[in-house]
Amino acid sequence: MTDLAPSSALLLVIWGTLVALDLVSVPQAMIARPVVAGAVAGWLAGDVEAGLRVGVLFELFALDVLPVGAVRYPDYGPATVAATALAADSPWQFALGQSAALGLAIAVLGGFGLQLVRRANARAIQHYSAALAAGESGAIRRLQYGSLLRDAMRGAGLTALGLACAWVLGHYAWLDRSTALGLTLVAVGCGLSAVIGGALRSAGRGPRLRWLGAGALVGLIAAALR
Amino acid sequence: MNGGWRAWLRLFAVQGTWNYERMLGVGMGYAAEPLLEDLKTVDPVRHTEAVVRSAEFFNCNPNLAGLALGATARAEYDAVMGDQLFWAGLVPLLVAAALIGVVLGVTWWAVVGFLVLYNLARIATGVWALRTGLDAGMGIGTAIAQSWISKAIEWVGPAAGFGIGAAIPLVAAWYLEDIGWPAAFGALAVAATGVAVTRWFGASLTTVRFTLLALVLLVLFRWMLP
Repeated sequence: MTDLAPSSALLLVIWGTLVALDLVSVPQAMIARPVVAGAVAGWLAGDVEAGLRVGVLFELFALDVLPVGAVRYPDYGPATVAATALAADSPWQFALGQSAALGLAIAVLGGFGLQLVRRANARAIQHYSAALAAGESGAIRRLQYGSLLRDAMRGAGLTALGLACAWVLGHYAWLDRSTALGLTLVAVGCGLSAVIGGALRSAGRGPRLRWLGAGALVGLIAAALR
Repeated sequence: MNGGWRAWLRLFAVQGTWNYERMLGVGMGYAAEPLLEDLKTVDPVRHTEAVVRSAEFFNCNPNLAGLALGATARAEYDAVMGDQLFWAGLVPLLVAAALIGVVLGVTWWAVVGFLVLYNLARIATGVWALRTGLDAGMGIGTAIAQSWISKAIEWVGPAAGFGIGAAIPLVAAWYLEDIGWPAAFGALAVAATGVAVTRWFGASLTTVRFTLLALVLLVLFRWMLP
């Protein structure tokens, strides 16, 4: 892990907060997608390649998620930021596995945090129920801004925690090269299993499955010709 | 949407669970059940939520309860169209294109192109949706049925399947060609195992849990058998 300057760490926390907010609250512009979050985090950490390797890997996991209704899912945005910080300035073949482990743990924690925020929002609504019943538009605004603030705090806390864990792992968790490479292979294999499983589930047995197969064939040919 | 006759028969018992808390609510949920059955295959998560909503507080003359029942059931199906268009269609399609772009080395074009295309589509849809809602009023169901959304869903789903199918081999090669193909076969074996195991265990063993488990086991084995 590269030793981040305080200004870079601060920028990463701000970026992590923005991508956490983007997931559900505002503005859902897709900056929370790992491929975007990772590319920008890599640029901020001074290693775009690391950001892309981490971002594409977490995108494979994120494609397994269909975020409809109240379904619970991990928050890959801040997780990608923290994992990129850990992978930065190291050969990705040896850093990706450890970064994936950290990132996935943070992503799960982020999903849990999202549930806590939703419960806190529900409590706040109960607190303002009389004002809501009376039709006070000021109460609606206060509830909305309060919820956004709670989600921003979740994102900032999650990213800061991820960066702190990345710093500890980068300085104290030493792995030999073969274990580090093994972790990367397992992480990549699991990422592929996530995207394949998600694609098969989305495809069902209809025409989409045939298009998935046709795409895989084209992708195989393109990969062989590269 | 099927189940109309069964719903009509069940409406005869719409006051069967009349109570002071939800009044006709539970009876409406009972009558809505056949209408919502198709939703189970399209979107199981939303189906559960729709069942919850269908049994909430409701009161009206029992002879006219069918009006509200039909309208709310229709609204549940219309809501799914948005998920099919965006979360199961446009987003995976554009993410797949971005992943292919990153793998082929046009990183920033891919990332910026993804953000621009998605947000153009999203903003245009938002403007259209608000205008259509304001213009159509209570005739919104007909307006949606006659709109471009159904046709867009017909092509965006297969296109997303094709894109994801093409991206998977390219992304796999992008990671594994640098590591060497003997080790890559290990990663592909992990991927195949992951797909099989997570399909077998379903929701109790998500790919994220499987990955964390595999990473921890690998570190433990390496620690015990150096």
